[in-house]
Amino acid sequence: MSYLDVDHNQRVARLLALHGLELARHLRRLVRDDEVAQDLLQDTLLRAHRALTRLGAGANERAWLYRVATNAALNWLRDRSREHRALDAHARESGDAGGGSDSPFDADDRALLWQRVAALPQRQRVALTLRVADELEYAEIAARMGCSAEAARANVYQAVRRLRVKGLA
Amino acid sequence: MSAKRESVRAEERAVEQIVLRTFATVTGRGGDPLRWTLMSDTPVGTLGLAASEAGLCQLSFVKNEDRFLNQLLDVYGERPLLHVPRALDEARRQLDHYFAGKRLAFGLDVDLSTVAGFSLKVLQATAKIPAGRVLTYTDVARRAGNARASRAAGNALHNNPVAIVVPCHRILRSDGSLGGYGGGLPIKEWLLEHEGARAKQLA
Repeated sequence: MSYLDVDHNQRVARLLALHGLELARHLRRLVRDDEVAQDLLQDTLLRAHRALTRLGAGANERAWLYRVATNAALNWLRDRSREHRALDAHARESGDAGGGSDSPFDADDRALLWQRVAALPQRQRVALTLRVADELEYAEIAARMGCSAEAARANVYQAVRRLRVKGLA
Repeated sequence: MSAKRESVRAEERAVEQIVLRTFATVTGRGGDPLRWTLMSDTPVGTLGLAASEAGLCQLSFVKNEDRFLNQLLDVYGERPLLHVPRALDEARRQLDHYFAGKRLAFGLDVDLSTVAGFSLKVLQATAKIPAGRVLTYTDVARRAGNARASRAAGNALHNNPVAIVVPCHRILRSDGSLGGYGGGLPIKEWLLEHEGARAKQLA
């Protein structure tokens, strides 16, 4: 484990030990789904780790985390309803499948991104691909990879983190 | 009302599971969680409290939340930690009563699983000293099985994870002087005075 990983673990453990319960409660109430709440909590921690490393922990750390978590939940809810609208639209053959610019990656970054993805450790790359490209549940990813759902989730998390560290996701 | 309380409990269990799974996934911390909280504005300053399923495992004098949290993250490096501001209400209640002078003895389960060997024996001997009484470092070392290990006893007491409830403040030097105290000597003095103890009353 590299120094960066130890550092990352300590910082994230601190955030979880301090704000974990209230953030999880907040997210769960917004999205009404345990799995999604966990995903969004992890996403919030990733963003927090990056931003707080840059900004330093201040008195408004808690408020900041709440804002990030709330936005993550609202985005998820919006994406889900957009998906539904898109399906409706498709059924009506109206041709509008939702805005094209909500990809997390700029088009310019795309080639570079796939290079980075290809460079990920194999299990992380596989787990990430199954999650993002095939949109599988963690249990399904686990079944395909022959590991536990938690291990699958951990692999996706580490993959996203590596891409984030490189400023791509 | 009771149905509502049940649904609140169910929510808390689900929320806790989300955090514990996230701890495991993101930081590799697993096992039984510890619940922690702060108790501010006591006569001896701010106290940090943490408990496992087995009982109170940490009671420290703390400058602020961050210091206490870092201490917990270090000492319990493998365990998930949950910040439950309203947790440990029984410990809080008994401490309130202690500070108000309504009771000087505690009826709390204490978890000393981070301590072992001679140190553990020293703390167990210390836990038996009633309020109002004091022992010397040599006395407590003897009760722990080695009268000549008073220095080691001093170290064990200095590293006592559960201050006040395991009353390491009730140990003095043989000449009746205060010796040391992790929370600072003014606090040791305050506690002894509050309990009505004098150096003469060696137990």
